Amino acid sequence: MVENDEFGGRLNVLGWLSVLVVAVLIGRAGYLQIYEGDYYARLAEGNRIRIIPTMAPRGTFFDRNGELLVQNRPGFAVSLMPVMTKIDPVVISRLSELLKVPVEEINKKIEAHTGFDPIRIKADVTPDIVTIIEEQKNNYPGVIIEVQPIRDYMNKEEAAHTYGYVSEINDMELEKKKDEGYKSGDIIGKFGLEKIYDKELRGENGGQQVEVDVTGKPVQIIGNKPPTPGDDLYLTIDKNLQTAAEKAVDEQLKLIHANAAAVVCMNPQTGEILAMVSRPAFDPNLFAHGISSKDWNKLNNNPYHPMDNKAITGEYPPGSTFKIITGTAALTEGVVTPSELIMDSGHHWIIPKGNAEGEALGLINFQQAMAHSDNVYFYEMGNRLGIDRLEKYARMFGLGKITGIDLPYESDGLVANRRYKEKNFEDGDWYLSETFDAAIGQGFNLVTPLQAAMVMGEIAADGKRYKPHLVNRIVGPDGKTVREFKPELLGTLDVPAEDIQLVQTGLHEVTKYGTAASIFRGFPIEIAGKTGTAENPHGRDHGWFVAYGPFANPDIVVAVIVEQGGFGSQSAVPIGRKILEAWFGLNKPQPAQPADGQKKQ
Amino acid sequence: MTKTILRRTDLTLLAATAGIIIMSLVIIGSATHINTPGDERYWFVARQGLFAAVNIAVAAFLMNFDYKMLQGYGNKLYIFNLIMLVAVMLVGQSALGAQRWISIGPISIQPSEFSKIIMIVSLATMLEDRVGKLNNLHELLPVAAYVGLPFLLVLKQPDLGTSLVFMAIFLGMVFVSGINLRLLGGLFAAGVAMLPLLWHFLKDYQKMRIMVFMDPNVDPLGSGYHIIQSKIAIGSGMLFGKGLFEGTQSQLDFLPENHTDFIFAVVGEELGFIGVVCLLLLYLVVLWRGAQIAKDASDMFGRLLAVGITSMLAFHVLVNVGMTLGIMPVTGIPLPLMSYGVSSLTTNIMAIAILLNIQLRKKKLEF
Repeated sequence: MVENDEFGGRLNVLGWLSVLVVAVLIGRAGYLQIYEGDYYARLAEGNRIRIIPTMAPRGTFFDRNGELLVQNRPGFAVSLMPVMTKIDPVVISRLSELLKVPVEEINKKIEAHTGFDPIRIKADVTPDIVTIIEEQKNNYPGVIIEVQPIRDYMNKEEAAHTYGYVSEINDMELEKKKDEGYKSGDIIGKFGLEKIYDKELRGENGGQQVEVDVTGKPVQIIGNKPPTPGDDLYLTIDKNLQTAAEKAVDEQLKLIHANAAAVVCMNPQTGEILAMVSRPAFDPNLFAHGISSKDWNKLNNNPYHPMDNKAITGEYPPGSTFKIITGTAALTEGVVTPSELIMDSGHHWIIPKGNAEGEALGLINFQQAMAHSDNVYFYEMGNRLGIDRLEKYARMFGLGKITGIDLPYESDGLVANRRYKEKNFEDGDWYLSETFDAAIGQGFNLVTPLQAAMVMGEIAADGKRYKPHLVNRIVGPDGKTVREFKPELLGTLDVPAEDIQLVQTGLHEVTKYGTAASIFRGFPIEIAGKTGTAENPHGRDHGWFVAYGPFANPDIVVAVIVEQGGFGSQSAVPIGRKILEAWFGLNKPQPAQPADGQKKQ
Repeated sequence: MTKTILRRTDLTLLAATAGIIIMSLVIIGSATHINTPGDERYWFVARQGLFAAVNIAVAAFLMNFDYKMLQGYGNKLYIFNLIMLVAVMLVGQSALGAQRWISIGPISIQPSEFSKIIMIVSLATMLEDRVGKLNNLHELLPVAAYVGLPFLLVLKQPDLGTSLVFMAIFLGMVFVSGINLRLLGGLFAAGVAMLPLLWHFLKDYQKMRIMVFMDPNVDPLGSGYHIIQSKIAIGSGMLFGKGLFEGTQSQLDFLPENHTDFIFAVVGEELGFIGVVCLLLLYLVVLWRGAQIAKDASDMFGRLLAVGITSMLAFHVLVNVGMTLGIMPVTGIPLPLMSYGVSSLTTNIMAIAILLNIQLRKKKLEF
């Protein structure tokens, strides 16, 4: 023992100090582990658990015969796992080199990203990039490959306006649709059927719950929720007819040096749309993973508006196709009898308006007037009916309001009427000359090609108006039909059957000896038709043709407009004939028919 | 003779030390992913285990020698210490912003670890004659200067942690040497008054560590990251822990330096509060025995040695564990006998060996 142990007592202080140290540490550990343990356990989970969404394959499109129209192809996206610390700049520069994405752009994406889901760096990369990343995992810690179905419009521009396109959801859409379960980064239908049926098509995304290490590298999968694919759409579209219609339009536009056109083909007995064309068109594949600004500018700067579906959005004066309505009104209202002869001396006797090229047909009855599209006869019908009764019948046919087709951005057109004039013009009085114009589909009247097809369809279906639609049925991923679209009767013309028959006969004669006769000469199926030429203050006239067949029991009505195509009989009728040939399976080459002097309107 | 040594050895201290070393090997294994296949999965545990065995063997052999022999080397060791610390400054390798390493063949040694035990031996030699004579500043000054020189060299490395350990050793030893308590109080007051000055001399990263200690969220992804992740690891261990090899914070590398300075956090995460209490109680046994051995020492030199060692170990435990628990700033002080590191392990086993040696020779050996 130490002698003279004067300060031995101080050793007890040392011992008890040690006890104090250990006691403090145990107390602190207890506070963290017991009192705040739950809190830190949650933080630890947040550190290591990430959710990688698995995108649901979007529902596909089939035509009415079950032919695949729009599908998905597997795509690979490269993403970065968010981590607690800064992502290693070496990894970012490596990734930048591999993906040919500038470092600044990657950093911007990382900065803009919040939350713990992967940061998408590049969508739809090539398989060799996937291979490199998978093989050199250690060079790319925290970099993951996400499998992502990419929309594949197999037929490129064909029916692009009908199918529409998809793209990443934008902030405005997100704001509106947050409650419906849409999330940032979701792919959403922006146009066409993709937009209208987005809810059915999108399915439900799944997700993988993965454990990651500090570099964001997935270590193991903890949970997996498989995605539910979207529902498939079985369209009313007939692929063969669609292709034929597109081809017919393209050939004709090239031939007559026109740039824009639209076609609607519909079954008048059901409202099923069989084909729909709008020119110029666009390739919806461009949008599937973000359109380049170059492509976007090209589309935007095209003066013929390729992004508009002219078949339902384009509003044109109906021209002589409106005579179907004027004629029906005149017969039904009894202002004329079918046999009454009216004198066409080249112009009307009250107001000197006449046929476009001044021809005079002499004394003609209803059938002849319809077949030859005689303006003087229908001016007189307008004179006898008055604008109010013309308006009533135009509305009875469904003009002036949208048809309700399952496509976005449908226009309602315009029916000439007094109130419109009063509201929009300084001189609000209605003049007889305006009634004359309205009677032959000029002046204020505006219709969409779909509406033109509807009017013709009502005559074809003996006065019945069916709601136009593009989808026959929606089929779930299990193969069960989720929803079926039956023909929906919207209304019936309040017109005696014999009057409709008179109009039908008149339209039949259009293709026999009237304005469309030369082009339909020798056509083996009986067709009813009506040409039209819509005056266009901005350039050449628009050419119209509406038709249905077979005459006795029609299963197709066609409406064609060629913007600035000139006379309908020359611009639109050839397209109509080719479409009808395709529909009726008349696959023989069409002999070039010389178009002899046709009467216009 | 060997039998006698065994019979008279402080078995409590020996068992507690062995317990800590065994726990250390297990936790180092967990922290270095021994359970996941990899080329070098056993490297850390094998190395630490090997050095533990060698050191224990050497220590056992040294039991044959009386610790009093060290007294003769006190001043020579002191000079050796100064040379070694200067050498670090000249040829040392940087790690984490500080020059602390010297490579000798395949082994990198950390001279500041050894300098702690050398400091204890040389200070004990010096203080032995001055016990009871530290009554005024004039008498204290030589002692302070004696410690101050290596202290400043270590601080210059910069190794704030080790220099603070020197302070702890100094304070413990002069306290037991019967320093005038008023003088000690004055010294303390002067030290506190000097703190703002000290702040001025700190490197930026050291200042950041202190600031982060006050509030880890100042720099959550930088300096504060260690503290935050360590607290998450320990806290989420809760009462029973996540199980050995099951600590997500540690196994997924969220916790940096988890086999060295932050090894205590692995214990907290995987073994929970129960594991924490067990480990800390083992340390308490070591420290308590250290104080008792000092009391029972046969001479003043032995007592001073034991006090220096106990002070050193206590300070290490307080600062290291306190750091992982977020109540002490990050200073880079290892946890004795737990943290991976050959220099630290050697130093601490030798320290325990000296304690055992003092205990062994507390009375005249009876043959």
